[in-house]
Amino acid sequence: MKFTIREGKPEDCKDIERMIMELAVYEKMPDQVKISHKELERDGFGPNAYYKFLVAEVPEEQKSKDGYTKVGYALFFYTYSTWKGRVVYMEDLYVMPEYRGKGIGKALMANVAKVGKEKECVRLQLSVLDWNKPSLEFYLAKGAEDLTAKEGWHHIRFHGEALNNLAQEAP
Amino acid sequence: MSMFILRKAEPKDVSDILRLIKELAKYEEMENQVLLTEEDLLEDGFGDHPFYHCIVAHVPEEHQSADGHVIIGFAMYYFTYDPWIGKLLYLEDFYVMKEYRGFGIGSEILKKLSNTAVRTRCSSMHFIVAEWNKPSIEFYKRRGASDLSLEEGWRLFKIDKQNLMKMTDEE
Repeated sequence: MKFTIREGKPEDCKDIERMIMELAVYEKMPDQVKISHKELERDGFGPNAYYKFLVAEVPEEQKSKDGYTKVGYALFFYTYSTWKGRVVYMEDLYVMPEYRGKGIGKALMANVAKVGKEKECVRLQLSVLDWNKPSLEFYLAKGAEDLTAKEGWHHIRFHGEALNNLAQEAP
Repeated sequence: MSMFILRKAEPKDVSDILRLIKELAKYEEMENQVLLTEEDLLEDGFGDHPFYHCIVAHVPEEHQSADGHVIIGFAMYYFTYDPWIGKLLYLEDFYVMKEYRGFGIGSEILKKLSNTAVRTRCSSMHFIVAEWNKPSIEFYKRRGASDLSLEEGWRLFKIDKQNLMKMTDEE
């Protein structure tokens, strides 16, 4: 199967919005998706971009049954480890089910790694749900280490009211 | 201890920031994992492409630490992106020197950060905490934080440089 991996552009955001929702459905949390392509366009481009993304595209003759040629994406940004320095964090990696098993996921991730390498990042980080066996296997095969299991790290979040309450107490 | 100020870190603070990073790593029993240098902190925090933001807690001369330091706490953060809810404030490190704990400095830092998060349109503040670090977990839970690793099953993974190189070489 022929496909290309390229940098995302503003006009891709509608397809990214579609695939973000498909991934959220897979992760069993579709009602948690609150933003649309408008926020993605505002936040992903320009001098204050908060994230970057890559798109996997197939030619017209291989479009999906619903008529899409943009069939996968990887969304990432840079973070910082006070121990090691620059890190590239891959937030989302997704390929539509009918295009899996053809090396697209692997190519997307390799390109994220390449961008990270160019920016002198010392590692790539990502998070996976503990029940997501196919993804866990995919990443473990690439040498990923589970820091939650190995070092006991837990993701903590202050959201909504809890965040507002904290902020309101600020001097 | 009502006499302390919180302010944005400046280039001249990098040596104190590194000192505090190493103290926190020691507390987390991972002190020999800190590879970052003052030079890295300078370039990565105050150069063309800042990878992090930092606030420091400063006490007056007369309250300096046993070792003669006036910068006695810090928090390092950056902005990340959740494709479901948009901008997030990610807290990378948060530390107050032992002799200055119990005076509300940590609470003030956290409030200032959550205020920054709300002001900059972030839906949440995220961070990771080691599961054995009971005092910190209690501190956050008391303020309404959720443990996403426990509640939703998220596990943090890393892929180090060697394996990243392999990925890019294979492409």
